[in-house]
Amino acid sequence: MISKRNRLRGTALVAGAAALSVLATACTGGAGASSSQTKDVTITVALFGAPPPQKSLDAFTKSTGITVKWSTIDWDSLQTKIAAASTSNTYFADATDVDWSRVGQESKLGWFLPMEKYIDQKAYAADMPQLSSFTSNGHIVGVPFDASYLVTTVNKAMFAKAGISAMPTTIDEYTQDLQKVKAAGVAQNPLNIPFAAAEGLSTYWYETTQAFGGKILDESGKPQFSSPDSAGYKAAQWMVDAIKNGLVPAGNINVSDSESQQTLMAKGVTASTFADYSGNVGSLYDVPASSSVNGAVQYIPTPGMTGATANVSNPDGIGILKTAKYPEAAAKFIEWFTSAENQADFAGANGPDKVMPGYFLPSRLTGLEKLTAAKGLAGGQELTTMLKSSKPVFPAGAPVWYPQFSNSVYTNLHAAAAGSMTVDAAIKAISDSATKLAGQ
Amino acid sequence: MSTSLRLKQKPPARGGQVPDAARRGRRLDLLPYALVTPLTLFIVGLALIPAGFTLVEAFFRVQPLNPPDEFNGLDNFRQLFADPAITASMGNTALYVIIGVLLSTVLAIAMAITLQKQFRGRSVLIAVLILPWALPGVVEGIVWGSIWDSNTGLLNSILSSFHLIDHYLVFLGQNHFLTILGIELVQVWQITPLSTLLVLAALQNIPADLYEASTLDGCSAWTTFSRITLPLARPGITIAMVQGIIATLNVFDQPYILNGSAATGASVTMQTYFISFQNLNFGEGYALSLLITLATLASSLLVLKFVYRPVEF
Repeated sequence: MISKRNRLRGTALVAGAAALSVLATACTGGAGASSSQTKDVTITVALFGAPPPQKSLDAFTKSTGITVKWSTIDWDSLQTKIAAASTSNTYFADATDVDWSRVGQESKLGWFLPMEKYIDQKAYAADMPQLSSFTSNGHIVGVPFDASYLVTTVNKAMFAKAGISAMPTTIDEYTQDLQKVKAAGVAQNPLNIPFAAAEGLSTYWYETTQAFGGKILDESGKPQFSSPDSAGYKAAQWMVDAIKNGLVPAGNINVSDSESQQTLMAKGVTASTFADYSGNVGSLYDVPASSSVNGAVQYIPTPGMTGATANVSNPDGIGILKTAKYPEAAAKFIEWFTSAENQADFAGANGPDKVMPGYFLPSRLTGLEKLTAAKGLAGGQELTTMLKSSKPVFPAGAPVWYPQFSNSVYTNLHAAAAGSMTVDAAIKAISDSATKLAGQ
Repeated sequence: MSTSLRLKQKPPARGGQVPDAARRGRRLDLLPYALVTPLTLFIVGLALIPAGFTLVEAFFRVQPLNPPDEFNGLDNFRQLFADPAITASMGNTALYVIIGVLLSTVLAIAMAITLQKQFRGRSVLIAVLILPWALPGVVEGIVWGSIWDSNTGLLNSILSSFHLIDHYLVFLGQNHFLTILGIELVQVWQITPLSTLLVLAALQNIPADLYEASTLDGCSAWTTFSRITLPLARPGITIAMVQGIIATLNVFDQPYILNGSAATGASVTMQTYFISFQNLNFGEGYALSLLITLATLASSLLVLKFVYRPVEF
């Protein structure tokens, strides 16, 4: 039988050990030296989506000796973790998300290893039109792993009910057609614009500004939308007028982009989204479980001032953190993850077993072509054409102050749509913000 | 009686001779310290050191994009008060606190009084009551989002079904006060269960003979409530109000999920997040965190001064 004294001693020992382990845990976690080892290592990949199928990952492990520990973290938390780990020089993952909007910040801070060290830059650039969105100060911060760009989608069945058979090619025609759809009573509010104060509103405005024939900032960061006759100003006015005139549902004041696509476009409440996600036709609108407009929604070349306009790039990328334990192994993974074959597989070219949940479209032209050839991707031809001509909002890479600028864009445009400020005041506030940030 | 108390009662014998029992007692005195050490390390490592760090860094310019870090006195605070987005969020947060604390406290008292009585299903009701408190704020934001939604929301659907409205209403994002109220109601739904349990615990300490005496004296229900229940439940109400203040001053999930970053509902904690992790201006982030801490402390002290009264039975 254990005596009371021994039992107390044991308890004290356990408590002391626990205390020491707490101390030890608190003192570890810093980034150690990185290793160039690529065999028999385990790397952590942190992204906001679900992982590729386990079979695909197993095949990668078998061929390289690299085991992948996949960590799914939501986008906002991921950005916080990247910032926290990088500023405190702590290991968090080997490969993780590089968002195009953070490229300026992340490049300046050197949080990611330059990818040109690991990839054939010319070959990648030739096959990945959106690689430029991840390039800043001559360095490639990340590699786009799927293609996302803003496209115009139209519910052709609803347009047809309103007597519209030829799709609009200019922004004026587009506006008139939406008014016809409303007047015909086909949809009470035919246009979908997500006016929630979130990034989706900023990107919608960028696409609309491009359609009005202008750009947001010049090379020095000077705002190009301050004057009432500028494209950005007109785009903002057009968007706000649309909600005031009832082309956009009043409730959209607090609806985010993905939410509006799922609850309005996919349910046939609205007839068109001017700046939709590429890939939504195949992955949302044509999926019976999530949509009641199967086969009705199609991509159209985005209407511009005098004809079709280019599409704004909005891609997701992956890069190697400077605190990575196994950067070489992470580079091998990225090469595998972004290969044309795997991208086509992830998007469903070779059956459901190889599909990566939530994966939109290959970022490689060759991947998109494989996908189109293999399964007759909905709107594949149009998507390939649009991908080729897609353009980044900021050709020289997003400025380091982009997150603050975007915050100013979406909070002020939201306020203008909500009626708490005029379009003029909103544009002035955004312009002042850009001027101040660029001058810092 | 503890070993240490026994030692105090029996001091060591004169001449430096320490009895065996006392020696054993001294060794055993280490146990409490060993037991609290892990928790102490946690508190020191995860709360006090970061708090001290925040206190110091709030007076430094800490911007990884514009190094080096340097002492800048009160500049961070000046910048914060010069930023209309921050001052607007301070106003919003003040409204969250006032609405949230008042409403959750009143509801908690009402619910605790109801639950004080024994009735069939009381235990089940208490278990169900605690559920909103156990749910993460993000989940609650999403659930309530589908209620407030202006295009497809449940509330609009119900109002429309009863022909109370002829078109769907926009609850959040347009009217400032309505937006704050709509968001704060969600948080009240979350924090009221804990407040209720705290008040209920205080009510259960009130001796039953006081109620019997009030009945014999012919007191009305209101007199019993205002002269016995409310004064004697003050310690519990104080704790409930303080936890309400802490929760509402730090509200983040509900406004962020329900209203995005819009100025109509943005809270100070949301601004701390934007400043620190979006703008990478950690110095201002520290300063704003410090202001939130001071506001929490000041509000809690006010509640202690005006609401708390010691109660002895």
